Amino acid sequence: MNSPQLKLRGVRKRYASVTALRGVDITLAPGGSLAILGPNGAGKSTLLRVMAGLAHPTAGRIEFAGGKHDRGQVGYLGHATLLYPELTARENLIFAGRLYGVNSPQARADQLLAEEGLGEVAERRVGGFSRGMAQRLSIARARVHSPKLLLLDEPFTGLDEPAAQRLTERLTTLSAEGHGLVLTTHEISRAARLARSAVILVDGTVQESIDSDAMSEAELRAAYARALEAAP
Amino acid sequence: MNVALAILWKDLVSEWRSRDRVVAMLIFSILMAVVFHFALPDQDPEALRALTPGLLWTAYLFAALLGLNRSFALELENDALGGLALAPGNRGWIFLGKAAANWVLISIVQVLTAGVFAVFYRVDLLPGLTGLASVVGLGTLGICAAGTLLAAMAVRTGFREVLLPVLLLPALFPILAGAVQGSMAAVAGRPVPFESLQLLFVIDGVYLIVAFLGFDYVLDE
Repeated sequence: MNSPQLKLRGVRKRYASVTALRGVDITLAPGGSLAILGPNGAGKSTLLRVMAGLAHPTAGRIEFAGGKHDRGQVGYLGHATLLYPELTARENLIFAGRLYGVNSPQARADQLLAEEGLGEVAERRVGGFSRGMAQRLSIARARVHSPKLLLLDEPFTGLDEPAAQRLTERLTTLSAEGHGLVLTTHEISRAARLARSAVILVDGTVQESIDSDAMSEAELRAAYARALEAAP
Repeated sequence: MNVALAILWKDLVSEWRSRDRVVAMLIFSILMAVVFHFALPDQDPEALRALTPGLLWTAYLFAALLGLNRSFALELENDALGGLALAPGNRGWIFLGKAAANWVLISIVQVLTAGVFAVFYRVDLLPGLTGLASVVGLGTLGICAAGTLLAAMAVRTGFREVLLPVLLLPALFPILAGAVQGSMAAVAGRPVPFESLQLLFVIDGVYLIVAFLGFDYVLDE
């Protein structure tokens, strides 16, 4: 039997006097997709940063495919774009590719720019990009090394409807190809469409979880409402 | 190694386009040269020659502090520092890339500053140029090794502008001792004392190794 792609056991995270995560258990099957929902300040972004290897858990254990955490297997999109404003779009992707040891970063950068519809602005500096363009480039950056697991923190922020639609289709394709996917979002309909499992996080605790191949939007909305009611 | 080279390239391209750090460091260094020039009027040439290495290193040190502080502050924009921390492999290579970029940029400022000091104080630096370049290069390497590590530690605190000098200056005492002594000999046209170079080599090596190994923990939240 395959080891889970990602396994968190009793993960806690504390920043000075603030406890962001209070013992989170999550298991993601290989190629699985998970939506993390919850109100503002629930700890969703912290959980994703811990999963990405950006933040060390204060307590608990994280396993990646049965072994230690491997940053090279993870693609991460955060609230911030992780981009350099003085570099062009193409240079940002080539730089990210070189950080991850991508074989031909130039070719990969061109491929991703074309996929994100940013080919025409490839040589423009990112400092002049709109929020939506920067978000699309940031998504391309997260995919530059073809990671096995994508961690996306509110990936639809700043995207217009056509771009959001394109991203939904691309993520559906990546998921179908066997890439693991974990995303946080406030859009329950998109979460239901993209993910096969979900957890509702409230005040750093998993209040509800759904793991079903046929997770419906109605089921997810009901779980969300229950989680908010049950929260202290 | 590729990670270090990528970061070196990224920092130099970014600086070439923004000229953010070099201009700030250069203006500061020239300002110091001007202040010292007016503070030390009508000195005889020999006295000026003897004072120049100390004044030069004072300007180098504070200009370097300015540049080192900016080095990681720029990485905070868009959480680019998080993007670096996500890179697989040993984070020591990130340190080496940042330290190398700092060394190049600070060295550019030092060359220009030395020219300004030579003109203002009418000191001919050419006879001892090789020795002076060796001492300044090695001294700056130590400053960049310790400074890059400590700037990364200070950058996420709310008072990084104050914290970096407080942490860094005590660590630089042995480097400054060797660098100023060596520079005095070079400016006077004498061979650089072996002890000065030896001290700089040893301190540089220690700081580079400690920073390379310790950087993994510095970038963690």
